Amino acid sequence: MNRRNEQTPEVKMETNPTPKNRRGRRAYVALAAGAGLFLTGCASNAPQDIFQPKGPNADDINNLQLLVFPIAGVVGVIVLGLATYIFMKYRDKGQPIPSQAHGKPIVEITLTVIPALILTVCGVFTFRTIFDLAKTSDTEMVINVTGQQWWWEYDYPVQTEHGIKTPIITSGQLVLPVGTKVLLRETSRDVIHSYWIPALNGKKDAVPGRINLLRLEADEPGIYAGQCTEFCGLSHANMRMEAVALSKEDFAKWVANQQAEYAKPAEGTLAAEGETVFLNQCVRCHQVNGQKKADGTAVIAAPDENVYSGAAPNLSHLMSRNTFAGAMFDLLSESCRDDVWKAKPEEFGAKYLKGVTGECLNEAKLRAWLRNAPALKPMYADPTKLMPTNGKYRGMPALGLTETDIDKLVAYLLTLK
Amino acid sequence: MAIIERPSTDIAAPAVATPGTSLGGFKRPMMESGWKSWLFTVDHKKIGIMYGVSAMFFFIVGGVEALLIRLQLAAPEGKVLNADVYNQMFTMHATTMIFLFAMPMAAAFANYFLPLQIGARDVAFPRLNALSLWLLIVGGLVLNASWFLGGAADGGWFMYAPNSGPIFSPSNGVDFWTLGLQIAGVASLIGSINLIVTVLNMRAPGMSLMKMPVFTWMILVVQFLLVFSLPVITVALVLLMFQRSYGATFFDASAGGDPLLWQHLFWIFGHPEVYVLILPAFGIISEVLPTFARKPLFGYPFVVFSGASIGLVGFGVWAHHMFATGLGPVSVAVFSIATMAIAIPTGVKIFNWLLTMWGGKIWYTTAMKFAIGLVLLFTVGGLSGVTHSIAPSDTQQTDTYYIVAHFHYVLFGGMVFGLFSGFYYWWPKVFGKMLNEKMGSWNFWLMFFGMNLTFGPMHILGLQGQPRRMYIWTEARAGEGFFNLGFWNMVASVGSLILAVGVLIFLINAFYTWKKGPDAELDPWDARTLEWLATSPPKAHNFDRIPVVHHLDEFFHRKYEEDTATHTMRKVADGADLVRAEEAAADAHIHLPSPSYWPLVLSIGVGVLGLGVIYGVPVMVVGAAVILLASYGWVLEPSVAADSELDPPSGDGHTKEIAPLG
Repeated sequence: MNRRNEQTPEVKMETNPTPKNRRGRRAYVALAAGAGLFLTGCASNAPQDIFQPKGPNADDINNLQLLVFPIAGVVGVIVLGLATYIFMKYRDKGQPIPSQAHGKPIVEITLTVIPALILTVCGVFTFRTIFDLAKTSDTEMVINVTGQQWWWEYDYPVQTEHGIKTPIITSGQLVLPVGTKVLLRETSRDVIHSYWIPALNGKKDAVPGRINLLRLEADEPGIYAGQCTEFCGLSHANMRMEAVALSKEDFAKWVANQQAEYAKPAEGTLAAEGETVFLNQCVRCHQVNGQKKADGTAVIAAPDENVYSGAAPNLSHLMSRNTFAGAMFDLLSESCRDDVWKAKPEEFGAKYLKGVTGECLNEAKLRAWLRNAPALKPMYADPTKLMPTNGKYRGMPALGLTETDIDKLVAYLLTLK
Repeated sequence: MAIIERPSTDIAAPAVATPGTSLGGFKRPMMESGWKSWLFTVDHKKIGIMYGVSAMFFFIVGGVEALLIRLQLAAPEGKVLNADVYNQMFTMHATTMIFLFAMPMAAAFANYFLPLQIGARDVAFPRLNALSLWLLIVGGLVLNASWFLGGAADGGWFMYAPNSGPIFSPSNGVDFWTLGLQIAGVASLIGSINLIVTVLNMRAPGMSLMKMPVFTWMILVVQFLLVFSLPVITVALVLLMFQRSYGATFFDASAGGDPLLWQHLFWIFGHPEVYVLILPAFGIISEVLPTFARKPLFGYPFVVFSGASIGLVGFGVWAHHMFATGLGPVSVAVFSIATMAIAIPTGVKIFNWLLTMWGGKIWYTTAMKFAIGLVLLFTVGGLSGVTHSIAPSDTQQTDTYYIVAHFHYVLFGGMVFGLFSGFYYWWPKVFGKMLNEKMGSWNFWLMFFGMNLTFGPMHILGLQGQPRRMYIWTEARAGEGFFNLGFWNMVASVGSLILAVGVLIFLINAFYTWKKGPDAELDPWDARTLEWLATSPPKAHNFDRIPVVHHLDEFFHRKYEEDTATHTMRKVADGADLVRAEEAAADAHIHLPSPSYWPLVLSIGVGVLGLGVIYGVPVMVVGAAVILLASYGWVLEPSVAADSELDPPSGDGHTKEIAPLG
């Protein structure tokens, strides 16, 4: 919250005047204590703090905030100070009932013009920023973002200048190169969602039937937290997102890995048995690119037959992501997660690209999810209550897997590097 | 049913043919006391009290919902409510507070005091007035019945499509919500037309519009806002009803509809609605501040016109609720600037209130404390409002707790404090008893601190990125250190309990006053406006003699004269003496409208018809039949009651009769 501290001078103003009586002093002390508490409160390092921009778009917004918040603060202090003065000075001390004057037009006009002038100044800067943030002509990279209950899908169309030769479809974490003007093209498959990574830009709704554009650009490598901010039903609170910014070289490595061939687990391993479980169960909704049936034909998932939104997360290269279940849970164990989140910008890329290894896997959570997903995340997944959607799920149902199946599946999922 | 002054012996035959006696075997109810006198009353004062009691009931319901929400959010991964119930809870908290507490409570004040302030004996259409009340209560019952009939609405009070559709909200909750609001909306629409006609036609002689008390002015502005905005939400609710119950696709993108259509319709209503909520409170404190500062409102015409312009501009800013929906930069810029503009008249009001107190002789009663509380807290809410009129900055703030903080400062710190100011100020007028000032002081300070503790930390929560409408929050996003979001969530929850205790003390105070409170003097506050020229509580006919108005603040100017040398005011008459003088000079014949069964019966019919949308055509037929019956009963009710139906002369020596217009 460093930037917020620049406001301290205005807030401190209220402690300066010398109050004339004890009641007054008490009021000032209370105000100062309140202001102090407020600033202390802002000192904690919350990942979605809107005063910590990490990219030029969020910077533009923050510059406006740094204009308007102090103005609001100063006006507030003046008005509240004036009010306090009036309350003290004109309380009933036995004075006669005053003249019944009805006001002075010149005072009224002054008090109308001053706010109008202040707001005009704010308005000019606002105007410019609105149009700056709506610009799309300087876009360097496009990512299609689709919201559905309760996760985001990221679809990277072919962009050879970024090494993307076949479309990449992923979820859970939005990966982007630093210093690149990325344009998100947002839409939704069911209800309205809203995409928000506070460190990179303000919100933009994902509305069914429309494509909304949102500029994103990150200054330095790192991981930036976000959250769906349009109420979207049962698990709205669990619809999180993370934006991962990588240096251009690291981004190229990430792209190369996403486009790597499917590595079928070796015969006779637990993972190979896990692939069979996957093909029996998971593939009804979840695609893993490159999987082949026994007869050599491609395996095509059919989420449209089973899920109302018609989509389920594509699990190719699952272990290159750090989250699952709509970014609700970490795929990394707590210590490994901290290692990535708290990495210095120059070390971040290497740590992130390691992905999730066996020893870093948040296995308990993953197993619990495979055992009974709706118990962890509220979803419309009760087979007896799917009348309105003609039997289609909204979210992942409990699959009734045995513990052995889960062992096998976890082993298999770990091979999806 | 207008109240018309004319001698009882001289009732001319009306120009239209109206029945001479009750047709269909129903006699009008004539009870003057007992529960029936309340159920069938058309007296604006009794209706006002019933509005107030039902609104207070729903305030408690909404408050309990709020406490459950804060209980759930006090700690991370809350377990008090599950996601489904939590979503119902915040939906119904907002819906209840806005439609079943705030609007009816404002209607309670408007109903009770507007006729008194303009020197009238009732509203223009007394039976319609009763209909408004009963429709509102039926609407509230339909809304809340959903809790017991398969779950309440779960889409948020904004009920955005397509999340409100039958697929995404499969329970009947949204249906109850739609129908309940539709019925409550009809109630408000009828009420607003009634009050507009009353103000424009029934002011006492000499009361020009610019001599009208500011409370009445603000209520008038609000009624115009309602007349123009309610039809929009009515249309939206009809579309939603058809979408849910009859397979229409207005908001379904895959069928060519548009989810944003709902948002535009909702906010074209919803933003003026914000001013519908706050302006009555502004009106109340514009009475209270001058009374207890012993000065007239500073810049009366500026306050009136700023109120009117807030209302007008309020129709042009709805899309600032939609800055994140992808409106395009031109629309966003226009609505952003318009929103900033609305800060100007609002600021004018704040300055005028402060300058009203400047140079005054301030008497700190509980009513005054609440009024001052409004000025301070609304200023905070207004300024945070300016920070999100800056559209780009709003895209960071919207749908976070910063917004929740903002509108609770405006609506709780503003509106609720204004209403409580009104309770303490007008309680002696309505009930003839003084609320206890000592308990009042506790009431105020607990609510003031509780409110700041509850909603103050939400500024921090929001600016540090905690979104709204989340049934749980997670430690992973709460930041580090002691003063992280977890700390502030806990503070807010503790604050909400203090706030609740404050409200509880008010209820205890009201109960204690009812049982043991001292009788009020006739003019306890040295007040300024006409309602204090009536007795406390006022007689059924309000004024023994219709006052003739010469001044703004007529009552004050009957008591005081200016000392030409010092320009201070000298008391020339005692308020209580003035009231007694009116009694002594009472008019000989006063005509009052008679009670009626039909408003209540008609309202029940409307409720049943509404439930028919959920429970099928047979139920609808029953409802329609009741409505038809009530409508016939209503129009066939004699405009002049037969002699056998007339009241005997009342105890105070006046004859009350039914005026001959329907």
